[in-house]
Amino acid sequence: MARLRAFFRNLLQREAVERDLDDEMRSTVDLLVAEKTRAGIPPEQARREARLELGGIESVKEQVRDARRGALVDSAVRDLRHAVRLLWRNPVFTLTAALSLAIGIGSTTAIFTVANGLLLRAAAGVPDPEMIVDLVRRNPFKGPGIDPMSFPDLVDVRQRTTMLEEVFGYRLEASPASLRVDDSATAVFAGVVTSNYFRALRVPAAAGRVFDGGDVEQVNASPVAVLSHEFWMRRFAGDPDIVGRAVRINNVPITIVGVSARGFRGSSIVAPDLWLPVSMITVVWTEGGPQALTNRRIVWLMLGGRLKPGVSRAQASAEVAALGATIQRDTPPNPWIPPEFSREMDSSSVVWSAEVASPIPYGVRTIAAGFVGLLIALVGVVLVIACANLAGVLLARATGRRREIAVRAAIGAGRMRIIRQLLTETVLLFALGGLAGLVLARGITRVLFLLLPEFPVPVNLSAPLDERVVVFALMLSFISAVLAGIAPALHASKSDVVTALKDDVQGSSDRMRLRNAFVIAQVAFSILLVVTAGLLVRAFDNVVSVKQGFDPRNVETAALDLKMGGYTEATGRDVIRRLRERVKAIAGVRHASLADRAPGPDSISFGSITLPGAADSRGQSSFTTWTLIEPDYFQAVGIPLLAGREFTDDDRAGAELVVIVSQRTAKRLWADRDPIGQLVSVRAPQGPQVATLQSKDLKTRVPETQMRVVGVAGDVTFANPDQPLVVYVPLQQKYLSQVTILARGPADQSLAQDLQSAVAAVDPNLPVLSTASLERQNNGPVQTALRVAAGVAGTVGIVGLFLAGIGIYGVTAYTVAQRTREIGIRLSLGAGHREIVRLVLGQGMRLVAFGSIAGLTLGLGAGKLLSGRQYGIPQFDPVVLAGAAALFALVGLAACYVPVRRAIRIRATEALRYE
Amino acid sequence: MARQPATLLQGTLDLLILKALSTGELHGLGVSRRIEQITGGTFKVQPGSLFPALHRLEEAGWLSSTWDASENNRRAKFYALTKTGRKQLGQETEEWNRIAVAIARALEA
Repeated sequence: MARLRAFFRNLLQREAVERDLDDEMRSTVDLLVAEKTRAGIPPEQARREARLELGGIESVKEQVRDARRGALVDSAVRDLRHAVRLLWRNPVFTLTAALSLAIGIGSTTAIFTVANGLLLRAAAGVPDPEMIVDLVRRNPFKGPGIDPMSFPDLVDVRQRTTMLEEVFGYRLEASPASLRVDDSATAVFAGVVTSNYFRALRVPAAAGRVFDGGDVEQVNASPVAVLSHEFWMRRFAGDPDIVGRAVRINNVPITIVGVSARGFRGSSIVAPDLWLPVSMITVVWTEGGPQALTNRRIVWLMLGGRLKPGVSRAQASAEVAALGATIQRDTPPNPWIPPEFSREMDSSSVVWSAEVASPIPYGVRTIAAGFVGLLIALVGVVLVIACANLAGVLLARATGRRREIAVRAAIGAGRMRIIRQLLTETVLLFALGGLAGLVLARGITRVLFLLLPEFPVPVNLSAPLDERVVVFALMLSFISAVLAGIAPALHASKSDVVTALKDDVQGSSDRMRLRNAFVIAQVAFSILLVVTAGLLVRAFDNVVSVKQGFDPRNVETAALDLKMGGYTEATGRDVIRRLRERVKAIAGVRHASLADRAPGPDSISFGSITLPGAADSRGQSSFTTWTLIEPDYFQAVGIPLLAGREFTDDDRAGAELVVIVSQRTAKRLWADRDPIGQLVSVRAPQGPQVATLQSKDLKTRVPETQMRVVGVAGDVTFANPDQPLVVYVPLQQKYLSQVTILARGPADQSLAQDLQSAVAAVDPNLPVLSTASLERQNNGPVQTALRVAAGVAGTVGIVGLFLAGIGIYGVTAYTVAQRTREIGIRLSLGAGHREIVRLVLGQGMRLVAFGSIAGLTLGLGAGKLLSGRQYGIPQFDPVVLAGAAALFALVGLAACYVPVRRAIRIRATEALRYE
Repeated sequence: MARQPATLLQGTLDLLILKALSTGELHGLGVSRRIEQITGGTFKVQPGSLFPALHRLEEAGWLSSTWDASENNRRAKFYALTKTGRKQLGQETEEWNRIAVAIARALEA
């Protein structure tokens, strides 16, 4: 009680407490003097001795103040007031410093916000994200990748768990689909989720109802759909009458039962326009759908769970691991896995667990985290530059304040006390910068999203500003404040009282060295940024599709599933022909073809090809990527045909089976022999056979077929140097119901509408699932990552360049001011402008040179770090390095311009009078 | 053998101040003189340690202070033990004795 009272008294009645202390000291001196005079010492000497014995009244008072309750708070308040006054008096300094900090802290926070939203928490719109876990499995022998699970897996976990309140599943991809309301069709992206999905995530309905778990999970049992709020607004302008409407999705009658809550766009990075229950999987997946709910080998679901109250994720994870082990043991092995992958695929090494839920699937989180780490490092460097800049300025100011500090030290302030005071000023500055940065982060996040290319599917990018982000920004501000402020504060507090009070000579050379070091660091880190940006831009240039072996410009695509129009293999072949002819007839279309998919990094295989007569086709097989195409395909997508011929209308079902191979495949199979006319064989199961075959059936039930090579096509690469075997086969000879129309048209004219009407002209009931330009189709993760990284690095590079320029200017201008007298003397001794220019410029440019050398070395290191094969970033690029060095020489010269001009305008007489 | 007066441990100083005030109220200088006297000159308390300690003990509620006339009729701040201060002195004395005995025994062993 007494302590608390004292605490408040000390803080609130400071003046009374101070007066009391003052009186006490004065009376003590009097008492001491009286004591000494009584002992016979003459009054004057007694007074002197009394003061000596007390050892400095102010110092004792300071010590008493420090011993008081709330001394820390009290001095902090005093320091703060002092700091505010100082910053207020130097608005230009305060504003520029706070602004550069705001940029550094803001951009770092922005990246963290994105990382937080994508990697560290469940998607936005989920009420209590910490209760949701991702149920995943991981094979320690396999690299990162998404590993979906089957519906029977989900049911097993759901039935046996005791730790999870709900076990739900969703299909990661959003399938392109055609939504027909009355007579107008809209291309949408449909997600597929278990019927307890919304209940488990606690996402309510904005209109109508969401799936409530009552929908039966059997094939085609519940023909219902829920719209996302965003799509409801975009397509139906929030019309409440849409609820309860009967519509057709991919030609299947469906009832829209409701709209999900606003702000929820799905639990993953992919944002569907609407959701179907798992029972309606056949609507968007005609091939595997019918078996998807019963076959354990068909894996297509991402699993999630909701923890029971009071259960920790670790507990749930242990249980899931045990359940998973049982499930793995009971799962029959897949006979289609080549033996060389058997260890990677061995089900007994698979580990199940419950992980923190996040929009980025668990399997690729490390890749995403690595990328975000790169971005954080890039913007972190800007923050370092801003801090170095500020540290330099603070150091200069500390030099100017030596007297003030010396006076404070003289009246008894301890070193810690002075350091604390100087740091308070810095922390206040950083708090200003941090707050501004937090505000700025919102804007920067938005700009960051603008950097993103148009994706082939809608993505769910939410970056909620939660408490974690705020804490991050504050911590970041505080840590950088201490880092930037500690060196100047230590330095200033070290000043020797006597010399500081006595003379006004320029700051010690050792302080100047420190300042120079800050500038060198700024230049070095800015160069690092510019070099990194350059490397990333080069890498981006490399993956741009033109260099991948085909030409995606001016190619429009339209995706179809012929099953949705009721076609079978027999009737589908014919409609494929008619579609191609119809599209070719569109005005402006130069080449038209169809294929099972647009060129891209995805691959499909119908078996591995081998040379006929090879002993065991499974023993030496290598993964083969198949592309099923119609005539004119190579012209349409711009892949050169290097030898032989394209497919023609004569390569139809029943005719000799033919194949076109890629150049690399031809090299690998026949080395230098002419591949044209050679035979390859393949032993592959047909369609639905895949799911039911056992591995022993391979030899007996699957016949070996042979195909004759008629052509060789150019290689297509997708930033993946280890290309597997690539073959092209006529769609007419190897039918697939999922096809994509590819039409090469004139520049700057979208053919999307023309493709829609061409399809409608052939069959009005055949839904067009999506239309997109081929360029947009190929904005995959690698392109996106490089584009964003190059954009970020470029932007921060410019900011860093600017900050470094300010730093060079600051230190050079300061030197000129410090050396005014020296320059004056040199001038009066007959030095010409040339010498003065050399003196000042030499000083600035030396820093640039040192910084450049350090920065280029760092850049080389960064190149080494970044040059993984994943992104194809060059490790060493002389053009980029030389360019960065030249750029900084220019910046250095520009930054020195004003100080040099000031130096040559110094007049000898003035200079000698100056202080 | 001339020795510097022994340096004080913090707890010791508090104990000595409480003890010095156990016989009646004293001002700051008086406390200092009294400690010198009762320790036979072994401990000489510097004002830089004494005053912070006095203020700290007062804030802890063990001392109370009043302004009063001093022996030569000047105003001075007098400190006195409070009830809790007296209790504290008892406790600390006991504690100190225990330690002193223990250390003495340790040194003899």
